[in-house]
Amino acid sequence: MKIVIAGAGEVGTHLAKLLSKEGLDIILIDPEESKLQAIDANYNLMTLTGSPISFKVLKDSNVAGCDLFIAVTPFETANLVACSFAKKLGAGKTVARIDNYEFIKPEYRQYFLGMGIDELIYPEKFASEEIITAINHSWVRNWFELYDGELILTGVKLRKNASIVGRQLKDIAMSGHPFHICAIKRRHETIIPRGDDHLEEGDIAYIITQDESIPYVIDICGKTIKKPIKRILIVGGSRIAIQLVNMLDPHYKIKIIESDGDKCLKMLDKVGDNCKVIHGDGRDIELLREEQIEDYDAFIALTDSSETNILACLTAKEFGVSKTIAEVENIQFIAEAENLNIGTVINKKLLASSKIFQILLDFDSSNSKCLALTDAEVAEIVAKEKSKITKAPVKDLSLPHDMTLGGLIRDGKGMLVNGNTQILPGDHVLVFCLSGAIHKIEKYFN
Amino acid sequence: MYIKKRKILNFAIIARLLGILLLIEAAFMLVPFAVCFLYEELETAKSFGLSILITVVVGLLGLFCKTESHEMGKREGFLLTGLTWVVFSFFGMLPFLFYDTGLNVASAFFETMSGLTTTGASTIASVEAMPHGILLWRAITHFIGGMGIILFTLAIIPMLNKQSGIQLFNAEVTGITHEKVRPRISHTAKTLWLIYIILNILLIAALWIGPMNLFEAICHSFSTIATGGFSTRNDSIIAFDSNYVKIVITIFMFLAGINFSLFYHLVHGDIKSLIKSDITRWYIGAIIILILAVIGIELLENPDFSRLPQMLIDIPFQIVSSITSTGFNATNFTAWQHASIIVLILGMIMGSCAGSTAGGIKIDRVVLICKNLKNELHKLLHPNTVLPLRINGKILGPEHVLKVSAFLLLFVLSTILGMIVLTLSGLNLQDGLFASLSCICNNGLGWGFTSVSYAGLNDISKWVMSALMLIGRLEIFTVMVLFSKSFWSK
Repeated sequence: MKIVIAGAGEVGTHLAKLLSKEGLDIILIDPEESKLQAIDANYNLMTLTGSPISFKVLKDSNVAGCDLFIAVTPFETANLVACSFAKKLGAGKTVARIDNYEFIKPEYRQYFLGMGIDELIYPEKFASEEIITAINHSWVRNWFELYDGELILTGVKLRKNASIVGRQLKDIAMSGHPFHICAIKRRHETIIPRGDDHLEEGDIAYIITQDESIPYVIDICGKTIKKPIKRILIVGGSRIAIQLVNMLDPHYKIKIIESDGDKCLKMLDKVGDNCKVIHGDGRDIELLREEQIEDYDAFIALTDSSETNILACLTAKEFGVSKTIAEVENIQFIAEAENLNIGTVINKKLLASSKIFQILLDFDSSNSKCLALTDAEVAEIVAKEKSKITKAPVKDLSLPHDMTLGGLIRDGKGMLVNGNTQILPGDHVLVFCLSGAIHKIEKYFN
Repeated sequence: MYIKKRKILNFAIIARLLGILLLIEAAFMLVPFAVCFLYEELETAKSFGLSILITVVVGLLGLFCKTESHEMGKREGFLLTGLTWVVFSFFGMLPFLFYDTGLNVASAFFETMSGLTTTGASTIASVEAMPHGILLWRAITHFIGGMGIILFTLAIIPMLNKQSGIQLFNAEVTGITHEKVRPRISHTAKTLWLIYIILNILLIAALWIGPMNLFEAICHSFSTIATGGFSTRNDSIIAFDSNYVKIVITIFMFLAGINFSLFYHLVHGDIKSLIKSDITRWYIGAIIILILAVIGIELLENPDFSRLPQMLIDIPFQIVSSITSTGFNATNFTAWQHASIIVLILGMIMGSCAGSTAGGIKIDRVVLICKNLKNELHKLLHPNTVLPLRINGKILGPEHVLKVSAFLLLFVLSTILGMIVLTLSGLNLQDGLFASLSCICNNGLGWGFTSVSYAGLNDISKWVMSALMLIGRLEIFTVMVLFSKSFWSK
């Protein structure tokens, strides 16, 4: 499949690397040659210097023959124009990154389709949605509802008091627990566990389960359900913050601390009455104390600086705020931030890339869905008639070591997969694998 | 915090890939092996059989090397590329040793390295006495080396169609910047090899129509498109005494000196990129100027205009043969004036376009240095002007000038080193200079002491010349980096 990516910013390069590792044909366009040099010399893809809104450059990159055109330059209008041009030149599907909430309203969708833009990506919206999920499920690191909530995938940090720490997975499986551990994130690596792997303190375990078993999972992971979150303190009045405040239910009491006075004033117009705006530095402990930080249930750091966000969250933890969320835009810092006990880490780039990845897979005919968990992937793949995966029960299939089957959806009902499960054609199977292995796995389903 | 400690070099993966490469080499050896039976040369067949056996066994040993990780960084890329060429030459020389060709190890290694690097300098005193199998194997070494061993591997092994393949590609492909024609490295490699093979087929057909038989047409075609220079005749192209052959080979040598990616664009209807290419224009310009210079010098010395029609065929052939680093002889240029020889040497050093099969320092670098020189002179008078260094419509930054300067320095130093070794072995200064340049430019022309063949050199000189050919083929940096301190220290 041929993909043209316009804009070698952080989202663009991240996507280009990711997709090139998946074995797709990638052409990356950027006006700045210096941004392309390193990636051109080190990755299996082609780069082209030039403006993505130039017809000549678009023709040179052969957009007429590409299946997907992704515009992720920092400029919203350039992205829209580039997509429109690309579509007119014959690109298959186009995706533009935008900065404006208004554009994604359903009533304008037809207008954008007319312009030749098939999908709009608004990373701030994904970030806000992610934060809202984190607030609603404050005991987990990640929470994904799959197939209308039939299956639930959670990432849980295991502490000393969790009863499953130290036990081998096959023992846990034998005792017939209603969940399946499909990935373990330990320090800097992600493990797709086998039966003889065991859980350690400090691991983040990715658990697939169903709604009715949630209290049980909370119990064995040594968590308690805290009182629901009411009061939220946000540091940094960024676009995500405003988007978040508008998306949250008005019963939350919210306070935003922003260091830029003008921005504070402007913000007042955009937020509701349930939100107070404070002018000051979010790292200032005096200020935090004055604002009674210890009374808040959740602390969200959304400034432009990843370092500030991480430090502010650590300070909030010291004051006893139970749920902390930090926006960390440097991908390298994410693992460190997670080790530092920051409740949830938000990264716009990863969210945007995983969304684009999903568009790509949807389109790849196998109807897969994908979530990127830094270096592992979760795909929902439909087992085809007579495919390899349906030939025998799971334990006899000798599947590769870097994948595991998490659960499946049969006739709209979710169920977990264990060694004796026989997969039938038409089942939607949730597959966990390490990055780059997904195409290897698809052959089992086709 | 725990981060997996990386070894400085992943030797296991290098051994494994070398194993695969040796199996590929053995597969190539099967061709002359089969041809031996066709011509009923059982002695030669035996030597090829033995060589194939040894190569396959060693290749399998490498293949079963246990690899912990498939990770390949820049270090592995450079080392593997360098080693590939040496190991290929080492196993490629076995047929010459097992068959009674009269070559010792140094000569056989020189012969194979000369074949793979498409130098075309031969240590065999009389090639006409050699059996068909050996002659074909010499041509095949040109064929493999012309487009590049690594590039061939990238085209056929899917295992390398990822990041690590890019490192190898960068280490082997010639030129200042490395242009990819298609998004994935294996597609780029396949496309380039396809163009290469098509050119070969066209030339085989053209030569076969002429006075050559099929066997000679194949050997000469492999030799021409790879800009190698091995011939099946002692007198090279002169032996055919046919202007048709000379003209056809001149045209194809010229084509083989053009950047192959331009052919790709041409096939896709993009004629503009060929016309707009500064490099190609300079290439054509340089050829015309050099031809006129030699014709002028020769006529000035001996104003016999009745020779002119033949000169108009022979001199272009010889100049194109030298500028594309092919090294065929169409005329006895040893009889030329010294001034003409200097012109020939100029062509030899300059070489053709990067991204072709030719050697030398490449026109691209010459253009860059010339344009930079012009800018520098202008800046002496107008110190504040900002002047672009534009090649093919693209502005190149000052770091490219520095890199090319470093390249030229290393090129001169390597040539001088070669000259020292050659003059110590008894050659005079001019013969030493010519032979040393001929090797590092992968040219293979001989003049003076080496005019008949390189067989007269002593063993040490042959080893040093083999090294020079490799240095020239991999454009110096890839080999030199292996001897740098930073390569081996953490």
